[in-house]
Formats: sequence, C-alpha cells, structure tokens
Amino acid sequence: MYDSLDLFRVSSVMARHAGAQQSLVATNVANADTPGYRAMSLPAFSDTHRASSGIGLRMTRLGHMELPDQSGMPRPFAGSGESAPNGNSVSIEEEMLNAIEAQRQHNQALAIYRHAMGLIRTSLGR
Amino acid sequence: MTVFSDALKVSTSGMRAQAERLRYVSENIANADTPGYRRKLVSFEEELGRDQTPGAVSTGPVSLDQTSLDRIYDPTNPLSDESGYFDGSNVNLLIEVADAREASRSYEANLKIFEQVRQMSSALMDLLRK
Repeated sequence: MYDSLDLFRVSSVMARHAGAQQSLVATNVANADTPGYRAMSLPAFSDTHRASSGIGLRMTRLGHMELPDQSGMPRPFAGSGESAPNGNSVSIEEEMLNAIEAQRQHNQALAIYRHAMGLIRTSLGR
Repeated sequence: MTVFSDALKVSTSGMRAQAERLRYVSENIANADTPGYRRKLVSFEEELGRDQTPGAVSTGPVSLDQTSLDRIYDPTNPLSDESGYFDGSNVNLLIEVADAREASRSYEANLKIFEQVRQMSSALMDLLRK
C-alpha cells in the first residue's frame, strides 16, 4: 500500500540508494590497503532519480508486465582518482566525506518517510 | 537490510585484516635484535569466494623480506665468524612504526564506518517503533 504513494516510494528509493552507497564506502575503506583496488562509488541520487523517473513502463494494473530492473539501483563505477604506487586509489578522507553524505541522505529519506506517515495518521484522525 | 549487514561484515573483515597486519608488525619489532631474523610481510587481497561477502578483505600469505641481513661487528659474540661479523635481522624499526601507524589509522576508519552503518540501520528500525 505504501509503495503506491509517491512520497513513500521516492523516500524509500532514496534510503535504499544511501544504504548502497554506504555499503560501497565500507568496501572501499576495508580495501584501503589492498594493492590494485579501485575505489567504487554510486552516481548521485538526484541524477539517477531524474533519469529513472519519466521513462520506463508504468504499471497501473496488477496484470501489467514488470521490468526486471524496476528497483532503479544505478551501477557502481570506479572513480578516476589518483592511485598510490601499489595501484590503490582509495582516499580515506574522501570516503569519510562520502559516508557522512550517505548518512545524511539516509536520515533525510527517513525523515520524509516519517513525515508522510504522520500526514496519513492525521488524515485518519489517529 | 542485507545491504547494511553486508557493509557491517565488510568493515569487520577490514578490521580483522588490519589487526592481523599489526600482529606481524609487533612480531617484527619483537624480533628486531634476533640474529638472522627476516622481517615478515603480509599483503591484503580481496576475498573471492562463493559464500564470502563481495568486497571483503583478508590477509594473503606471509612472505619474508629478502633484503640482505645487517652485518654486525662483534667478535665476542658466539655467532660471529672469523672476521668478527655476524648476521643481524633486517628489521628497520622506523618502517615498522610507520606501518603500525598506517594500520591503526585504517583500523579506526573501518571502525568509524561500522558505527555509522549501525546508526543508519538503527534509525531505520526506529521507524517501526512508532
């Protein structure tokens, strides 16, 4: 039921994006000393969301066909940062920044979700 | 939820690998004065396997540093040869201390990420509470 409301849908996709980004940051930091490892990151949510909404098939009935990649999770790409002599391109400082960014985005998404929930509660009179 | 638990597992593997590296550093420092000791080197590699979390890190096989051993002049030492020299270790304390610093810095970074992922997942859980 919640998925059909746009506010819930957008905020949950946003939270999922933040979670995926945070998981990539964790992988990067864990591999900060692995020789030959390239740092990975996700494109920003605002870019991917604008690109993914609008085009694509709309499902207005249960019988409609579902596209396999409806989650809209973008693919991670390797950054083009400078690499150390051992071929590793992870910068811990940059990863810290990305981690905070992801956390803020996640908190934002959850705040929107909670707010929308409050709105529904109010309209139901509870 | 699996994204978060995967992230937690990956940062745990990072912490474990850094701790293991720190263990070898302390082994090298402890043996800095052992005659004939070669310093142990450990490398990191990405874990690849069917049941492993993607992106997790582990320490590779230990190798010995093949640079030449220190020649120490001490004719009174029972290990010394006719010319009065014996083989020391090839541990350079400066390098070991720098390595230990790097390991602890990376460990802390992993710990920070771990904490942050936990905060994010508990914030998600707070949604259910109300």
